[in-house]
Amino acid sequence: MTKQTFLHDKHIKLGARMVDFAGWEMPVQYDSIIEEHKAVRNSVGIFDVSHMGEIIVKGEDALPYLNKIVPQNIDTLIPLKAIYCQLTNKNGGIIDDLIIYKLEDYKYLLIVNASRIDDDLNWMVRNKLGFNVDIINESHNYSLIAVQGPKSSEFLKEIGLINLPFFFSIKRDELFNINVWISRTGYTGEDGVEILVKNEFSEYLWDKLLEAGKEYNIKPIGLGARDTLRLEAALHLYGNDLDENTTPIEAGLSWSIPKDKNQEYNGKCIIENQLKNGIEKKLVGFRMLDKSIARHGYDVYFNNNKIGIVTSGGISPSRGDNIGLAYVKNLDNLSVGSTIQIMIRDKLHDAEIVKRPFVTKRNKLK
Amino acid sequence: MNESMLCTKTHEYILEQDDKYLVGITDYAIEQLGDIVFIELPDVGTNFSKNEAFATIESVKAASEVYMPISGEVLEVNEEIVNSPELLNDENYDNKWFVKIKSNADQLEFADLLDYSDYKEEIE
Repeated sequence: MTKQTFLHDKHIKLGARMVDFAGWEMPVQYDSIIEEHKAVRNSVGIFDVSHMGEIIVKGEDALPYLNKIVPQNIDTLIPLKAIYCQLTNKNGGIIDDLIIYKLEDYKYLLIVNASRIDDDLNWMVRNKLGFNVDIINESHNYSLIAVQGPKSSEFLKEIGLINLPFFFSIKRDELFNINVWISRTGYTGEDGVEILVKNEFSEYLWDKLLEAGKEYNIKPIGLGARDTLRLEAALHLYGNDLDENTTPIEAGLSWSIPKDKNQEYNGKCIIENQLKNGIEKKLVGFRMLDKSIARHGYDVYFNNNKIGIVTSGGISPSRGDNIGLAYVKNLDNLSVGSTIQIMIRDKLHDAEIVKRPFVTKRNKLK
Repeated sequence: MNESMLCTKTHEYILEQDDKYLVGITDYAIEQLGDIVFIELPDVGTNFSKNEAFATIESVKAASEVYMPISGEVLEVNEEIVNSPELLNDENYDNKWFVKIKSNADQLEFADLLDYSDYKEEIE
């Protein structure tokens, strides 16, 4: 049976088209995906992302335990700061990608993908032996509302959040007299926050935000635009661009891996070996050189040889062309500027490997 | 909707015009697809059998195939919708056909097509 967030009735009233996503009935679009996309690039959008999971890890050994299950160095995290991490298996494959927040000493919040909550918990419990920690799934108690866009901080200040947390930080605050956690994070490539609120207040908060945001032309944004926004920002989607057979190094996430972490973690040996000796496949970004659109699962060719597969592809409403992410063989002569081909309905279409992200604050169109 | 259209359950239509047929997709399909961003049409002269995919519509979310309601040969393709997919939101069915075909289809091929009132019932 599909699950519904506490904002389900709000989406229906707003005229959303609902789809099944990771077992949740979620709004894919309220209006036009392209218009919703532009609202977030130009002003402010509001998203219900309550399907995402919240897991608390606390106890005497919380720190060494987290250091064992992710490649990142959790030692460096100070209270109310956050870090982007991957939960890795023994082979360095990615079980999930997540954000870890240090709420206080011995207490951390993990925000994980909706589709992975059960796998994450299973894996975390299996790795708990010998650590004095409690792992508590809080997903069913909290709703998560994202407010994203270049005008989001101005808007949030106007409605009473005078001191927003810094980028990748979290803060306890009050919004419309409700206790919330405000995190300066998101999945759009824009400035913005994610607001964690107890389920019973989520409808009230959603309505208040939409009402107060009228002068900013705030729009509710569905999963359709969430996907085009994250793709332009070249942010990975678990299940498309990340899976248990792909390491953070192959996924282009080396920047997130510390080179000097002393503690053992799952997959360390393989990840360090890849850092030192290289990888066989790598993630690249590409843009189509014609009007065709690459999609998840299409084959990638180079000099008439099949060299990989598209993992995410679609239109870029901000750029006006079509873009994608692909895993390809790590060939020396394949780099930014190279022309590759994507097989689309039995025809090869030229594409150019380009730098990620596809859209930055500087090059985005108004 | 045009009352002389015949439709498929997969939301394509044919509309007889002189000795040819216009083939396209219904407003209901257009609305369901959402933002249509790209349309791929076949070459003139190509023959298709009934229920064969002859065109592809790319919306923001996905690519969808369009199937021939009856067999026929493509006489003309509507380049205007390729260049401006937004024309599909036009109310006039005369402007948003995909292809014009010549068809020798027998009555059997028409048997499962829905007339205006049946199609309206189907989508309600």
